Amino acid sequence: MRIVLDAELCQGHGRCYSLAPDLFDSDDVGHCVLLVDAVPDGREADARSGAENCPEHALTLED
Amino acid sequence: MGMEASTEGAPDLTPQTVTKLASADDPRALSRSLREQPVHKVGDMFHLVTRRSDVEDALRRTAVFSWGAVGMNLGNIRPLIPLQVDPPKHVKYRRILDPLFAPKKMALLEEEVVALVKELVDAFAPKGSCDFHEEFAVPLPCRVFLRLMGLPLEDLDLFLALKDDIIRPPGVTLEEQAPYREKAGRAVYSYFERVLAERKAHPTDDMLAQIMQGEVDGERLTDEEVLDICFLFIIAGLDTVTDSLDCIFAYLAQNPEHRRQLVADEAVIPSAVEELLRWESPVPAVPRATTEDIEIGGCPIKAGQQVMLLLASANTDDADHPGVDEVDLERNPNPHLAFGGGVHRCLGSHLARVELRVAVREFHRHIPEYELAPGTVLEYTTGLRSLHHLPLAFPSAG
Ligand code: HEM
Ligand code: SF4
Repeated sequence: MRIVLDAELCQGHGRCYSLAPDLFDSDDVGHCVLLVDAVPDGREADARSGAENCPEHALTLED
Repeated sequence: MGMEASTEGAPDLTPQTVTKLASADDPRALSRSLREQPVHKVGDMFHLVTRRSDVEDALRRTAVFSWGAVGMNLGNIRPLIPLQVDPPKHVKYRRILDPLFAPKKMALLEEEVVALVKELVDAFAPKGSCDFHEEFAVPLPCRVFLRLMGLPLEDLDLFLALKDDIIRPPGVTLEEQAPYREKAGRAVYSYFERVLAERKAHPTDDMLAQIMQGEVDGERLTDEEVLDICFLFIIAGLDTVTDSLDCIFAYLAQNPEHRRQLVADEAVIPSAVEELLRWESPVPAVPRATTEDIEIGGCPIKAGQQVMLLLASANTDDADHPGVDEVDLERNPNPHLAFGGGVHRCLGSHLARVELRVAVREFHRHIPEYELAPGTVLEYTTGLRSLHHLPLAFPSAG
């Protein structure tokens, strides 16, 4: 599973990196930075939680 | 042909309907009935957008749904920055401001907020009762703001009076309220003019100093731009946190099983704060003005009309998010819009979250059991959802 960030849509709500700080981080303005490209085994639920909590639909998961 | 926007099926729609989304005992019920239609036309100029997908869409399409064109006057003589500025200029201001409010910066404030919260709680814990609104929800965000901007604590009362005269001036109609807003507006400008002059003579190292050093396209912000930012902070950053605290604690006072859930497990507090922000939506609606003829949910809206995007209604819309008509403190996912969305996403959201999480955690460590004082009838305010009074009773400590 891969995480894809649409940086154009991200507005820095910060839900992703506060819920899964080892998968997502924030840059100096508070926008999302992906820490991983491929989701590590066993972390699918956290990746999904980060993506589904984003109010801007900026994060998607691809198989 | 699109369907006509109308008020059919909606409860007594007037321009005040939006204010009832704040003041109703159960705004969720009003939202539900409003969502039966995607758009309600109120009067000649005014439209309510009710559904989550349409609200999101409008928040994102800033060229068509403009803040700059709204023409709302809150006692300011120039557009408030960054709220009443549209992209592309808006982005340049946010580039200066976002780093100052980034989550990692705000996390550094936690200890100071803890100390402030303890000070406020210690003052009333021995009494066994408090007016939570007066004694906690009002002073907390204001004192945090003064600290952040490096302003003296003596100015607290002045700030509170000014923001009240702007947000909740005496009078009912806009015309009656305008003189209060203008007077308070002038006082805000002259206060910050004086502060800026002092800061130039004696530079400091706080958020205000960082804003004064901000640059757009290689040019320092002008004094006027700094004033227009400070003016907005007073309107956007004080009352909203007070409102959220009132809403959250009124809810927890009346729902002991939920209160005990977060007392028993503090790890629930962050998601509980998000959930209660969603449920209460203290900022129930945000305005935009259309810049061209458009259609929402099949309803035509002409250029130059005012559109209210109902965040409260979007936050309880179950079309794509089943189960949102009840409170679940551990809700996941919870992609709510209580802080808005799109480019105007609340600049202070990460500061607000620190204040709310710390307030909930520390208050309950000191006072885990409380209820509304006997005989209390809660009256929520119009516009922004808050309370004039929130009398709480609890076993007195010590
Ligand atoms: C829980 C408390 C808060 C809530 C519910 C809240 C809500 C909102 C909402 C809904 C917006 C979007 C307005 C729109 O799209 O038209 C907004 C914008 C804004 N908020 Fe907050 N806010 C809160 C706390 C704060 C704090 C503490 C500050 C601190 C300064 C702040 C500063 C701002 C600013 C500057 C904007 C304008 C952003 C822009 O236009 O780019 N807010 N807020
Ligand atoms: S939750 Fe969405 S908008 Fe917020 S930082 Fe993460 S990706 Fe960006």
